[in-house]
Amino acid sequence: MFNLTNDEQKVIIFLLTIAFIGIGINFLIKLNTPVKILSCYGQDIGKIDLNTADKNLLISVRGIGPKLAQRIIDHREERDGFKDIEELKGIKGITNDRYEKIKDSFIIK
Amino acid sequence: MRVNKEYLFSILLLCLAFILGYATLKNSKILPNCHISKFVYYKNEQPYIVKGIVESEPVSKDDKTTFVFRTESIQSDDSNRNCCGNILINLKGKEALNYGDELILRGSLHRPFSKNNSSGRSYRDYLYNQGIRFIMNVKTEADIVKLNINKGFVLTRFSIWLKQKIEHVIFKRTSFLTAAVLDAMVLGEKRNIPWFVNNSMMKSGTLHILVVSGFNVGIISFIIFIILKLIRLPRKLRLVLTIPLLILYCLITGASNPVVRATVMAILFIIAYLMKREPDIYNSLGIAAVFILMANPRQLFDIGFQLSFVSVLSIVCIYPKLKLLLYIESLRPRFVKFMLEGCLVSFSAWLGTMGFIAYYFKIFSPVTVLANIFIVPLAALITLSGISLIIVGSIFPILAPFFAFSTELEVFVLLKINAFLIGLPFAYFYLP
Repeated sequence: MFNLTNDEQKVIIFLLTIAFIGIGINFLIKLNTPVKILSCYGQDIGKIDLNTADKNLLISVRGIGPKLAQRIIDHREERDGFKDIEELKGIKGITNDRYEKIKDSFIIK
Repeated sequence: MRVNKEYLFSILLLCLAFILGYATLKNSKILPNCHISKFVYYKNEQPYIVKGIVESEPVSKDDKTTFVFRTESIQSDDSNRNCCGNILINLKGKEALNYGDELILRGSLHRPFSKNNSSGRSYRDYLYNQGIRFIMNVKTEADIVKLNINKGFVLTRFSIWLKQKIEHVIFKRTSFLTAAVLDAMVLGEKRNIPWFVNNSMMKSGTLHILVVSGFNVGIISFIIFIILKLIRLPRKLRLVLTIPLLILYCLITGASNPVVRATVMAILFIIAYLMKREPDIYNSLGIAAVFILMANPRQLFDIGFQLSFVSVLSIVCIYPKLKLLLYIESLRPRFVKFMLEGCLVSFSAWLGTMGFIAYYFKIFSPVTVLANIFIVPLAALITLSGISLIIVGSIFPILAPFFAFSTELEVFVLLKINAFLIGLPFAYFYLP
């Protein structure tokens, strides 16, 4: 049916055997892959730097709209940057409740 | 007795191949202990932090960047573990990322949608077949930390760089529509094709020219061979050099199933010639299928894989029989014979793929046979002109406008002919 010579038949059988062994090894590796606990990444991943963020980046935080984002930028420019995240409380529109919700989204570098 | 032994070996070989295929498919469904899906919890709204490497060329469209990400570790709820497996990243905005960048990303992880389309297939099935189990939505640039660059496979990096250079020449020299068609025909990049072009090509059954397929690989092989002949290299060296260039082209076009199939078959034909053996098209097709399925057995359920192999198989099986049946060989004048042969090739491919197309796309297009006779030679001409434009545009930019004008005209004629053909009565029917 396949018109293969004797040598070709041997090569094919050899390759099929290797492939079967390969699948078996792959299966065993999958079952025995160790899961290691690694050291955690820094807590600032995903946090926005209050002193460099533009308006769009500030708006991406849940609880901050375009007006509030503009007020944060104005405040930053007036005071020559933020020194502490708590300074956000002094901006009109940021109540204590809102501050608690958004404070973890920011960082000062 | 000799015949029996050969027959027995063939049966044994088929059985072994079937068992091997079944085992590979089953094995591909088993996820390793460290697979990312084992660390993602249902309805966990906390964001995850994932470290890994960009595995595909990032594509930016409509203020969104998408790419495949090979994960290495995942952190959630203050514990960080090693992991493996690919995820799809949807990133808001356009970020300057490249294949091979090592990143830390923060975002929500969810399974792909499982809503079925008319043919019973879902986006989740499609992504599962690509080995992708989760989608991560990354909202801001603050959620991305770039650790390293150039960590991917060197050859893939080079092919992506080359593809970007070629795309730059195409889009600089031609109008957007022509560039989009050329980008699809030469580089297999369909993201810029307007929906109306895509739709009209689907109705006429000629959508295959807008993806890189065996047809394009054939043209590229021909061009490579001609260029190598022009620089007067010996025949054997030309054939040997064609192999790495075809592999490079396969990588540039994203190594989709039809291109891998055609590249493997072309390489086998070249090797057969070099070894002075008679190439067997069925064996070559079989080896190409085994090659793709060993790498990812779930490709068996991919529409591109099925259409690519069925169309070649039907041309190989049906066309010679039809040719004998209609006494084409003795026909004169020669151009009539040539036209009829084209008709029969197109008809054979249509017969083979008709059922698949009706099932997946719910469309039946009798105009396909007629459309392919006009569209395929024109598509070959556009591909040749496009490649000439890329070569001339890169070396002698001053001459590029002449090639660009003729390519524009050819694309215009192609779209007009296609529009005329789908306007014919009974050209296509939508199925319930």
